[in-house]
Amino acid sequence: MDDNKDTGMDHHDTHNSNPRELQMARSMCWHCQSEVSGEYFCDRCIKVQPVSKETDYFTCLGFPRRLTIDPRKLEAKFYELSRAFHPDFYQNKSETEQAISLGNSAILNSAYRTLRDPIQRAEYLLDLEAGAVKELKNSPPADLFEEILELQDTLNEYRAAERTSETQQQLRAKLHAEQLTLEQRKQDMETNLQQLFTNWDALQDHGDATSQARTERDRLLKQIREILANRTYVKSIVNNLVATIG
Amino acid sequence: MAYSEKVVDHFNNPRNMGSFKKDEEGVGTGMVGAPECGDVMKLQIKVHNDMIVDAKFKTFGCGSAIASSSLATEWLKGKTIQEAQKIKNTDIVQELNLPPVKIHCSVLAEDAIKAALADYQKNADGPAAAAK
Repeated sequence: MDDNKDTGMDHHDTHNSNPRELQMARSMCWHCQSEVSGEYFCDRCIKVQPVSKETDYFTCLGFPRRLTIDPRKLEAKFYELSRAFHPDFYQNKSETEQAISLGNSAILNSAYRTLRDPIQRAEYLLDLEAGAVKELKNSPPADLFEEILELQDTLNEYRAAERTSETQQQLRAKLHAEQLTLEQRKQDMETNLQQLFTNWDALQDHGDATSQARTERDRLLKQIREILANRTYVKSIVNNLVATIG
Repeated sequence: MAYSEKVVDHFNNPRNMGSFKKDEEGVGTGMVGAPECGDVMKLQIKVHNDMIVDAKFKTFGCGSAIASSSLATEWLKGKTIQEAQKIKNTDIVQELNLPPVKIHCSVLAEDAIKAALADYQKNADGPAAAAK
């Protein structure tokens, strides 16, 4: 799972099915003051409505807070809203509408960039849900850290070794083997994450408010946060390895 | 982004790079990481009669992270435990002229100092206290 690739997990078809999830950021049209029931346009005067800065990215794109999102549906919704907000279509409109068009387009772009990548999406959701999980401290993965620091020593040795010398060749082979192991580990973490994402979504779909469900929810978020963090460490050292031994 | 002269100096000539054995008497180890950028920092102190007699570090990360931990070990040497507690990340920012985007590196160094001190304390209190 590359950061820019989707997970290919799209067996949930719950999007837009729950109208309660689509909380509107405002209820009154800025122009005609009538109740706005449409998503981004007033039913009565058809004026574009601003996306509030407080609107989270999921709501902005009309998706429930889930970690698995069908990338095609997300893209389709993004294109639909991009067209609807595009500044080109507002050139002959009032200044207010032009400003809304620009503002909405900017928010929409950030929202799409964040949600289309499963890792960024998960990090964003953790931020949104942080209130509950902030207290749950993760202990740093000491073993992984030791391993990274040891590898860094080997990397330094490699850099200091004479080019094309036997020592350097040996170090290179060792580093290459480490790289493969770490890449596999990153892969395993991502598989693990996908499973946790599915569990989280199922829990949210279920919507239980029991204390047991809350505990389970926090446990999942904590686990996700921990693996996301460890994945960043592994990714960082792998990038360093690749950059050094090519 | 241009690094300040002091950062470059610490980066090119890191002070006190290396490590002590974890279970050596009087040694406290602080191991911290920044999950946002993937930097890892290990900072160790060696304490004798409440005085930090030696300090070492190993850092995997950017130049600012290396410089921050290198500077931290320099400052720690010769300080008492109580004095060491008072080192703040803002002191490091000031000394190294870190730009706003690199302030988190100094925070990491402060966290590492705190973790090393806490680990030393835990070891000094003995296994009996740790088991409580």
